[in-house]
Amino acid sequence: MGSDYPPSLRCGLPGLILSLETAFILIFWFCFSNESGSTPKDLDIYPAFQDVNVLMILGFGFLLAFLKRYGFSSTGFNLLIAALGVQWAVLVEGFLFSSSAGKMKISLHSILKASISVTAVLISAGALLGKANPIQLIWMAMVEVAAFVTSRWINVKFLKVEEHTSLMHVPIFGTYFGLAVSWWLYHSSLSEKVEKEKSNPISDLFSMLGVLFVWMFWPSFNSVLIVDLMERRNAICNTYYAIAVSAVAAFALSSLSSRNGKIRMIHIHHAALAGGVALGFSAPIIPHPWIAMILGLLASMVAVLGSHCLQTYLNSVLKIHDTCGVHYMFGLPGLLGAIVNVILFIIIKRANLSSLGYLALIEVGSFMLTTAIGLGTGFITGFILTFKLWKTLPASKYFDDQAYWEFPHLAYRF
Amino acid sequence: MPSAFATNMRFKFSILAIFLEVLIIVLFGIFVRYENNQPSKEDKLLLYPFFQDVHVMIFVGFGFLMTFLKKYGFSSVSINMLIAALGLQWGTLMQGFWHMKNQTINIDIESMINADFSTATVLISFGALLGKTSPVQMLIMTILEITIFSCNEHLVVNVLRATDTGASMTIHAFGAYFGLAAARVLYRPGLKEGHKNEESSYHSDMFAMIGTLFLWLFWPSFNSAIAHPDLQQRAIINTYFSMAACTLTAFALSSLVKHRGKLDMVHIQNATLAGGVAVGSCSDMNIYPFGAMLIGSIAGVISVIGFKFLTPFFSSKLKIHDTCGVHNLHGLPGLLGGLASIIAAVTQVKLRETDSPSAPMQAAALGCTVGIALVGGAFAGLILNLPFLGQAPDENCYDDSVYWEVPAEERQPAGQFSDTEDHRTVNINV
Repeated sequence: MGSDYPPSLRCGLPGLILSLETAFILIFWFCFSNESGSTPKDLDIYPAFQDVNVLMILGFGFLLAFLKRYGFSSTGFNLLIAALGVQWAVLVEGFLFSSSAGKMKISLHSILKASISVTAVLISAGALLGKANPIQLIWMAMVEVAAFVTSRWINVKFLKVEEHTSLMHVPIFGTYFGLAVSWWLYHSSLSEKVEKEKSNPISDLFSMLGVLFVWMFWPSFNSVLIVDLMERRNAICNTYYAIAVSAVAAFALSSLSSRNGKIRMIHIHHAALAGGVALGFSAPIIPHPWIAMILGLLASMVAVLGSHCLQTYLNSVLKIHDTCGVHYMFGLPGLLGAIVNVILFIIIKRANLSSLGYLALIEVGSFMLTTAIGLGTGFITGFILTFKLWKTLPASKYFDDQAYWEFPHLAYRF
Repeated sequence: MPSAFATNMRFKFSILAIFLEVLIIVLFGIFVRYENNQPSKEDKLLLYPFFQDVHVMIFVGFGFLMTFLKKYGFSSVSINMLIAALGLQWGTLMQGFWHMKNQTINIDIESMINADFSTATVLISFGALLGKTSPVQMLIMTILEITIFSCNEHLVVNVLRATDTGASMTIHAFGAYFGLAAARVLYRPGLKEGHKNEESSYHSDMFAMIGTLFLWLFWPSFNSAIAHPDLQQRAIINTYFSMAACTLTAFALSSLVKHRGKLDMVHIQNATLAGGVAVGSCSDMNIYPFGAMLIGSIAGVISVIGFKFLTPFFSSKLKIHDTCGVHNLHGLPGLLGGLASIIAAVTQVKLRETDSPSAPMQAAALGCTVGIALVGGAFAGLILNLPFLGQAPDENCYDDSVYWEVPAEERQPAGQFSDTEDHRTVNINV
């Protein structure tokens, strides 16, 4: 059947990428110069910068490689949209946040912020894994980066949220953006798992490789933008303990939730990271490690419960298909972290009762705003992505590398 | 014609390896000392993260990048490790001999980084010869290549005073052309029609992707590790944007040259890295981010085109069989890097306030690097061609089982990674 063929991307994809890259080079030519007069001091963040990059490119790339026939696309497209997204994010950030006229400067710090913003796209791509083609992903990356940076700009400019906190909205924004897009890409054939949408032991192992890298480097992710050294140390330690607790709890809860007491790999993938995500906001202000550890435990619980109970509900009732389970991995723990952050904020600031209500309201408002912008822009983007113009994939070709990749070894089964 | 029996390397390999290690220990004992007069300890340890990154690239990145062959994973990763471990010791000595003070070689973190760099040349050449050589041959090639490399590096850096911070020329172009020349001498007419094991499987390609991603991530460290501290941030940023731009054009071109616009994993694994190679020579110059992106984009384009057209041409017409396609990943982008540094010198791009590179010297550096690499590679190839070095016969190329004890179930032909439920349980029970 002709329509069952995945449409050829030969004219669409190269043209789109090459014209975007040309545009980037031209804009960089006119608007950017290197940071001049740099000192070795600027290199202090370089090790943490590398950690964040490993987390994004290697960690997320392999984290998403759990589908047995979608490994090439998971790692390859992750690299593609990260490379594209960072360039675009540097541009958008430069235009929105730079105050003075003249050529904008690029430093390690600006690339780092761009990288963290792009994490939102990678998370959304996890929700769409296997259902969107590279052209759709590229357009999604362009819109999402712009939307996230704008939402961050509103937060920083009007709500006076700290820069670090505003960037830690990334998991929430990415998740709800992704889920909203996913609602549009829903297809009735997704209601039950097809054979290609499962994992096999080797693909689960690759995914574990990614999880381990994300797990190891999450303390860097949570702390890298904090300026104050004391707070940065607290953030590293708190994240470390929370993520350790959530990994342990993931094993316990996974074993508890299955009938014969066996551990499910997917729970480990989902829940081991939850503690780190939940600590994103509050890591620097948590005074004692035990609070962080309780938070890690709660986050892990939310993730396993969500993965266990909510998956079927979301998929069938709301018609949202979340391939990678980013809602449990990043969304719910992120919301939990945001709520806990507000509570901690009230406890810390309780001495100053007069302005407490107003300040707490702003804290609540900022993450609600981020969620709302994520859902809204995601909804619009999802609608745009359903256009036939982007050579959308027929549902029978979902979750399959063969739609995009050349297989010299197809003579064999794989 | 070596017989199948000749691949038994029980004594040849052990004795040669132990002899080399004893020799190196003796030479270290005579010459090598710690660097004593450190200006300040903090400054020197600032380089340690860079060293770690380069180390990961050499051992994990290069190792896994070469695991794409379906039956050659053991050798790719482990021989890579063997070469790197031997090479960094020998490289310390060879590079140290050019910078001796009072008859001693003083080592610090920077000389460890340089030693790691010197092994990169051998690993690149190993990529060209992958699957067709024995571990004994690789030991000998490591010694020869690093010796020649350190002479060439001394010539480029200290005599010609050319700038080559990220070593596009001295490491990448050198390693690639050395490997190609050796591959030409070691050409096996029996493999003209290809070999049944010279292909990838789905999961071996995924393993190769691990290597690609590690190399991609740490390339900014590679290009900035030995830059002047004031210029390191610039080198990092230039490399970063060059890699990003290169990734985009590699995807675009890969889709463009293929039937129905499909992507080819070989291109993604290799061409996405070409940007880092090409920007190497200019990485610490003030070429602005757009210049770096321009270099990266061009590198991505020529690398994919090289894979599509040049590699088949080389193996059919020039009798150079390049297993990994190092010419497209390191050779051509390395030349591009040298060319870019010449252009940068002509257009008076500043390195720092006062000095800018000189175009004739950059051109001379590029020329002599490629020349020495070709001659040296051919010479090394002639030595490796000696019949008693344990080469595998043609039919056993690209196969781990010649040199390794391979677990039984892995000897099955491809298709071992089966999807069927029953097969999986069997594998687990075993």
